[in-house]
Amino acid sequence: MRMWKERYKIGVPLIDAQHEELFNRVSDFVKSLRAEGNWEDKLPMIRNTMEFMQEYVIVHFEEEEAYQRKIHYPYYEDHRRIHNDFREEVYSFVQEFKKDESNEKLIQAFAGKLLAWLINHVAAMDQKIAEYALSKGGTVE
Amino acid sequence: MKAEYVNPFYQATINVFKMMLDLEVTKNLNSIPDSKLSDEKINILIQVTGDLTGFIIYSFDSKMPLEMVKIMSGMQFDEFDSFVESAIMEIANIISGNALSNLSKQRWQCDITPPQVYTENSKPLELKNKRVLRIPLQTKLGNLQLCISLEETKAS
Repeated sequence: MRMWKERYKIGVPLIDAQHEELFNRVSDFVKSLRAEGNWEDKLPMIRNTMEFMQEYVIVHFEEEEAYQRKIHYPYYEDHRRIHNDFREEVYSFVQEFKKDESNEKLIQAFAGKLLAWLINHVAAMDQKIAEYALSKGGTVE
Repeated sequence: MKAEYVNPFYQATINVFKMMLDLEVTKNLNSIPDSKLSDEKINILIQVTGDLTGFIIYSFDSKMPLEMVKIMSGMQFDEFDSFVESAIMEIANIISGNALSNLSKQRWQCDITPPQVYTENSKPLELKNKRVLRIPLQTKLGNLQLCISLEETKAS
């Protein structure tokens, strides 16, 4: 079963493509993490995902915030604060992981949080941006 | 306890379950609220500070978090490990954050502490002997009880 669902689309092709990519990355990460196997063998994939997430929460969040400014989204500041909080949490997990790569509990907790955070952010919060853009009589392009 | 404190948490629970899990939440009219939190349940505690002081406990049937994470990930989970714990704590955090957002529109500016798993034995002393409103809820995955204890913070 795929994590990504069509109902998560907000109708902005760039942002939808980024969301889908993120879901696929997180899905692959969770599958690998939960699979049977040696922790040492999983480390390259984990390092790779942590690096990807660090970059993603900068690039994607900035693009999403730019779009919100463009459409004068009234909850821009709230949304930006949520992005900032999550950016800090990702940064904190990455720092802890760098200190101790054998801490499997930490990475399992990171993956669980990431899964729930991502679904809420895309399925609920970003849908509100699309609803706002449509309510202004335009498309969400 | 005033309904205006409680309703935002009830409403946020319904909304978050619908949006994130595509699940309906209804009041469990056949259930008598548990007066004690059982350690057989998964209890997530979030404390509230600011204009209101108190706590919320989300008390899940023990297998329910496993099913919730299964819906989100499409994968099978057999035990309440740190992955499941973290995902469920985040859901409790999201519900509480949404409730606080609605409370702030009414005039109550509050913050929440990070969620923590809670057992009857680990109950912090300051939570004991408080008035608690219990709302039994049901979903097709199992039962969930909201335990809400909030009071207006006295001006110092």
